Amino acid sequence: MRGGSIYIERSSGLHWLHPLTKVALTALCFASAAALPGLPWLLALFVGLLLPLAIWGRLTGAFLKACLLVVGPFVLSLTIIQGFFSGGETVLFKLGRFAFTQEGLLAGLTFAARLLVALGGTLLLMQSTPQPHLMQALTERGFPPRIAYVVLTAIQIFPSFQDRAQVIMDAQQARGLELQSGLLNRARLLLPMVGPLILGSVMDVSERAMALEARAFSSPARKTSLNTLADSLLQRAVRWLLALAAAALLLWRLWSALQ
Amino acid sequence: MNLRVEGVSFRYPSGVLALDGIDLAIPSGQLLAILGENGAGKTTLVKLFNGLLRPSQGKVYIGDWDSAEHTTAALARRVGFLFQNPDDQLFERTLAREVGYGPRNLGASEAEVKRRVARALKLVGLHDMAEAHPYDLPQPQRKLLALAATIAMDTPILVLDEPTIGQDEVGRGAISRILTDLHRMGRTLIMISHDMDFCAEHAQRMLVMLNGKIHVEGTTEDVMGQTKKLDEAEVAPPQLVRLAQALKMPGTPLTVDDFVDEYKQWRKKKKSK
Repeated sequence: MRGGSIYIERSSGLHWLHPLTKVALTALCFASAAALPGLPWLLALFVGLLLPLAIWGRLTGAFLKACLLVVGPFVLSLTIIQGFFSGGETVLFKLGRFAFTQEGLLAGLTFAARLLVALGGTLLLMQSTPQPHLMQALTERGFPPRIAYVVLTAIQIFPSFQDRAQVIMDAQQARGLELQSGLLNRARLLLPMVGPLILGSVMDVSERAMALEARAFSSPARKTSLNTLADSLLQRAVRWLLALAAAALLLWRLWSALQ
Repeated sequence: MNLRVEGVSFRYPSGVLALDGIDLAIPSGQLLAILGENGAGKTTLVKLFNGLLRPSQGKVYIGDWDSAEHTTAALARRVGFLFQNPDDQLFERTLAREVGYGPRNLGASEAEVKRRVARALKLVGLHDMAEAHPYDLPQPQRKLLALAATIAMDTPILVLDEPTIGQDEVGRGAISRILTDLHRMGRTLIMISHDMDFCAEHAQRMLVMLNGKIHVEGTTEDVMGQTKKLDEAEVAPPQLVRLAQALKMPGTPLTVDDFVDEYKQWRKKKKSK
């Protein structure tokens, strides 16, 4: 993994799935995170669906690590905040005037589990799908190519930004710039570092735009893709089922809330 | 100021061995050209000179300083470095401020900064534009500005990475004149370049790298004459040398004047036979 991409190259069934099938799965995860009523259901979905999919995609370690890194701090902060401040009858312990309750703990963990399910779906999509494939799948379904290009460039520009920032740092150090810690020193580094990075990037943009136009980027003709995304009737059916399940879950949640 | 590299190897974190057992001594005041195909280890080697990279093994001495004991910013007092792309360093509002940035970092007095700025801008021929914005200059002139910024550091050693790249004949001529002036001032000059004609014309000594090792080194005339070694390193000698070799002339003419002289003598000898 480097820069803006978290895609991990593997040879697996999950990787071979059509990107939109995985988008539909992610949509179901978001709907489940919003609609499922309690912690056991959310954990069951994570353990019963997302984890097996990660194993199938040979991404278990990276998937669990990313989940832990992102959700871990939320689990900690949410359980502390909810535990102390959302009220409840069963006091587990007290810290001065503040009581930590079992109901609060459960509310915090449930909220964190909702995040885990939503994030898990997104992570599986991003770790198993190259961004160009995702954008290609979307543009083939009518997503504007210009927006797809902007999104892709924004993601892919990070590695070149990192490389350029390193060269700029080298160049300024070679001119006697000391890299010291401390807020004031860091502020002093800002202009010599950011100035060339921004100016250079602005100049790159105009050159990139001209290079794209020279290769007929805005031609109205239907573009031929070198890469064909494998799809099948079964996958289309699964996509529809996943989308319907996501919609049904949200409608059920809405109906229960209105009761 | 002299520079010594003793038993230096360098391995990138990716595992690539970029330098393998380099020993090198560059005497004070020498103009050395480092040649080699892309990836041969040229830039890695010169980045050790100002501490941008640290050897995995071995030592680099800048005069009496062991480079391992000094930061890059401290080594900037002894080694100036011109990067390939000037846009990687320019950020100030005027040429004068840009050139003065380095000397200010080194703690030079304001009067000293002004003196160095004026001298460096004059040397590169940009003194009339001292208050212009750097980005109002075309790219080749921005390279000259970056060179002025390096010169203003007033270091005894200067490393120039591809100084002639992107320059037209006027710019190339200006850089040629600047290098000659700096050399006359006694600076140690080390340049990396693929511009063989320029290197042959200016360098006193050449070093050709291949796969992280010194493949061949010696005086410019000597190195340019070693066709087989240069072929192995994918380095093509200048047109004049190749023409002389194709004509089976003796010697290795490095400049047009040399070629004309040697050609006349050779023709005379042939006729007299």
